[in-house]
Amino acid sequence: MYNKKLKWKSDFEKSVIIENFLNRGWIKSQEKEDDSTDWNVYWATVWNVRNIFNPKNGFRLNDQQIINHFPNHYELTRKDYMVKNLKRFKREQDKETYEQQGWNFDFLPTTYIFPGEYSLFVEEFHKCPNQTWIVKPAARSQGQGIFLLRKIQQLKKISGTTVTSNMTQLNLVSKENYVVSKYIDNPLLIGGKKFDLRMYVLVTNYKPLKVWIYNKGFGRFCNEQYTTDVAEIENMFVHLTNVAIQQYSDKYSKKHGGKYSIDALKFYVESAYGTEAFQKMIDDIHNIILTSLKSVQAVIQNDKHCFEMYGYDILLDNNLKPWLIEINASPSLTTTTPVDKNLKLNLINDVYNIVLPNDDFSDNQQKQQQINKIGGFSVLYDESLDLMNRKTQKRQSVKIWK
Amino acid sequence: MQQLDNQEILMKLKSSKQFWDIKKKIKKGFNDQQKIGVNDIQKFAQSCEIEDQLTNLISHILKKSKKRETLKEDQIDFLNTSKIKWTELLFKNLDIVHQKTKNQEEDDTNTDSKLYIYDEKNLLAFLQTFKQQQSSALYQNVQFQSNKLLNINIPLKSSQQILDKYQYLLLQEELQDEKINKIRKQIENEHLDIELEKIAQTFVPNGERCLLYLKYFEFDHQETILQQNFTKLQKECLHQLFYDELLEIDGHEISEDTFYFVFQEQILTCLKCFIRDKTIKENIRIQLQNGIKKEHTEFQLPITGFFPFKNISKYVAPLCYLSTKIHIIYALFKEFFCRYFCFLHAISSENNSILSLCMQIEEIISTNSPKLFHHLKVIGCDTLKLIIHQLIYCFVGDMDPPHILTIYDQIIGHDSLEILVILCVGFLNKYKSKLLLAKNYENVQQIFQELREDKFQELVQFAYKQ
Repeated sequence: MYNKKLKWKSDFEKSVIIENFLNRGWIKSQEKEDDSTDWNVYWATVWNVRNIFNPKNGFRLNDQQIINHFPNHYELTRKDYMVKNLKRFKREQDKETYEQQGWNFDFLPTTYIFPGEYSLFVEEFHKCPNQTWIVKPAARSQGQGIFLLRKIQQLKKISGTTVTSNMTQLNLVSKENYVVSKYIDNPLLIGGKKFDLRMYVLVTNYKPLKVWIYNKGFGRFCNEQYTTDVAEIENMFVHLTNVAIQQYSDKYSKKHGGKYSIDALKFYVESAYGTEAFQKMIDDIHNIILTSLKSVQAVIQNDKHCFEMYGYDILLDNNLKPWLIEINASPSLTTTTPVDKNLKLNLINDVYNIVLPNDDFSDNQQKQQQINKIGGFSVLYDESLDLMNRKTQKRQSVKIWK
Repeated sequence: MQQLDNQEILMKLKSSKQFWDIKKKIKKGFNDQQKIGVNDIQKFAQSCEIEDQLTNLISHILKKSKKRETLKEDQIDFLNTSKIKWTELLFKNLDIVHQKTKNQEEDDTNTDSKLYIYDEKNLLAFLQTFKQQQSSALYQNVQFQSNKLLNINIPLKSSQQILDKYQYLLLQEELQDEKINKIRKQIENEHLDIELEKIAQTFVPNGERCLLYLKYFEFDHQETILQQNFTKLQKECLHQLFYDELLEIDGHEISEDTFYFVFQEQILTCLKCFIRDKTIKENIRIQLQNGIKKEHTEFQLPITGFFPFKNISKYVAPLCYLSTKIHIIYALFKEFFCRYFCFLHAISSENNSILSLCMQIEEIISTNSPKLFHHLKVIGCDTLKLIIHQLIYCFVGDMDPPHILTIYDQIIGHDSLEILVILCVGFLNKYKSKLLLAKNYENVQQIFQELREDKFQELVQFAYKQ
């Protein structure tokens, strides 16, 4: 099956990427420069993708090249742009029509983008005196720079000067934007601990939109018992689920890495809450994925050379309602446990089986056929299908998790 | 013995689907007849076996209402004296463990991890000593078969009887949604345990398992009482016991398990409450240790009447999937332990006891897979030594939680631990070809260290494969 010696290039020295290339018999591109173009398959950083698609470089991908990001993926994956696009999309939609199709927007916590929406935030802050807020840099990752806020004065951390609620604008020390959201302080707890879900979604085309969802994901658990006690508000081991943070807890285990499979979560929710509760939860998660992708469909530069595998971070509250936290363009491919390695190895393998079936770049029949499942990926949404078939696909989407 | 009056029996009957089916049948039998006397009903009932069905139903209600007493004395004297010896041995182990914990407190570099009172290997080694004693009563009329690890004259069900009883599992197919919905409604409406057992034998939907278990144990309208009892026990946990330390150490293994690490704190809380629970002694079906009150010792048996042992956490872990409420998890664990798991740690000739289950496994393997049985013996790795961990801990850690809870369903379904015999036989058959190539114990260990996934239905299939 894999008999074509395609050339690969990777900006990441990750075993799950490189092993997959080697297993296919592909050969590494010999050109050492970052801007080398002698490759067929490139697993690139977002910055290198931006350079490649920068018109000033005058570089055009040929028909035998494929790359793992869309040029302006940040419309979806920067926290501030994601919020902006979702709000815009919501305003544009006819609410009744959208809900009739079984979709909704009720998955984003109330969020303001700093510095621009500071005064709107202050107004809301005063309306909800007991509300905790979570402050995040718009373009950073791994939990860096995140903190919980209960007093406006805490914003001194990012402004560098005293902040009061009388101020009508906020000046930030760094040039970066921040997003400030209502903190979901009633997360679903398992064993008394908070977690969020990491799910993998592959988009092979934006126009028309084609979305695949992976049937293996995991919950990332905090190591400390959850509490809303104000004294623990700065304890990141209670509140932030990023592995990059939790690995420094003295309760961290290398055996499981705080990762709880989605199969185990499914079984828990079904057993403890009932099958219908699980199905509703999954429907709501599918809604989050599709609505967020549709919100950027008009603005993303679609390109036949591109695909993108996103890491969706979703938080469940204690009513089993899922909330969208963020979408990652470069979900971590570091493996922390044997189970994790197995998952990510198969994940990348399945990505390439979808985007490059039989190592073939041509628009072959297999790509166009209604194949709904490849490896752990199932088609969640295919806009190229007619409306009737799309409705059938939606009804069957819950079977992905059976 | 608690006796039910007629009114109470009628109430219990009315909570059974079978009762209403019988009533429907009788009504149909008389059509639109205006005057129906008791004699008419009796004659009709006798003619179409309804009387037998009703009699069975009532006698089942009466049998279940009878308060079960804890079995203290075994019918075989030798086993009673063995239980005393086992308890004495455990007291000695407790002293050793206590000394080790003291040494560890004083010397941080001493990391001896054997901080438990006994494990499954210790128990099996003790059971093995019975053979050496060769009491004439024990071996009367028994052909002494030196190749078996345990071969003692206790009443035993025939292996074929057990295999036949569970053969229906081979025919189980995946159910359609319609059938699953029907079972859901049955569980919601049914109260009689005999009916719940039938459902448990067939198929239990994940979403209704907790309800079925609660109904079977008659907890479904007792949540407030369960919560109050648990809260009282939690308060008692503020006063530390030495055994708490052993339970915390025991929890380390569960805390490394990818399926159970999230429940680590809940499991420990349940176990700390368990060893303080005064009601265990009167509810448990069999006495595990002979409760000798030793003079001049620092520790006595916990109030439960038995010592906590290695991997006791494994009995709690799968139940954590069933409810978000810890007092429910605790109530289910307590009931499962008192009714079933206690037998896995009891020196006894009872059907469910570890001794009987082990002997039945040896019997089936030596008869149906003699080549494997002999080969394992030759390479110094007895069948029972291979399987004892899976048997005693009901495959927790070897199978994923959905499969473990299917085992628990079968345990309830037949009010018996015999399903473990079937699964152990299946387990050995599954790895037979690799085991036959093993040259020594280390080879065998390597086989089981490889990443493997054992599933309930798969092991059942292998149990019946020749």
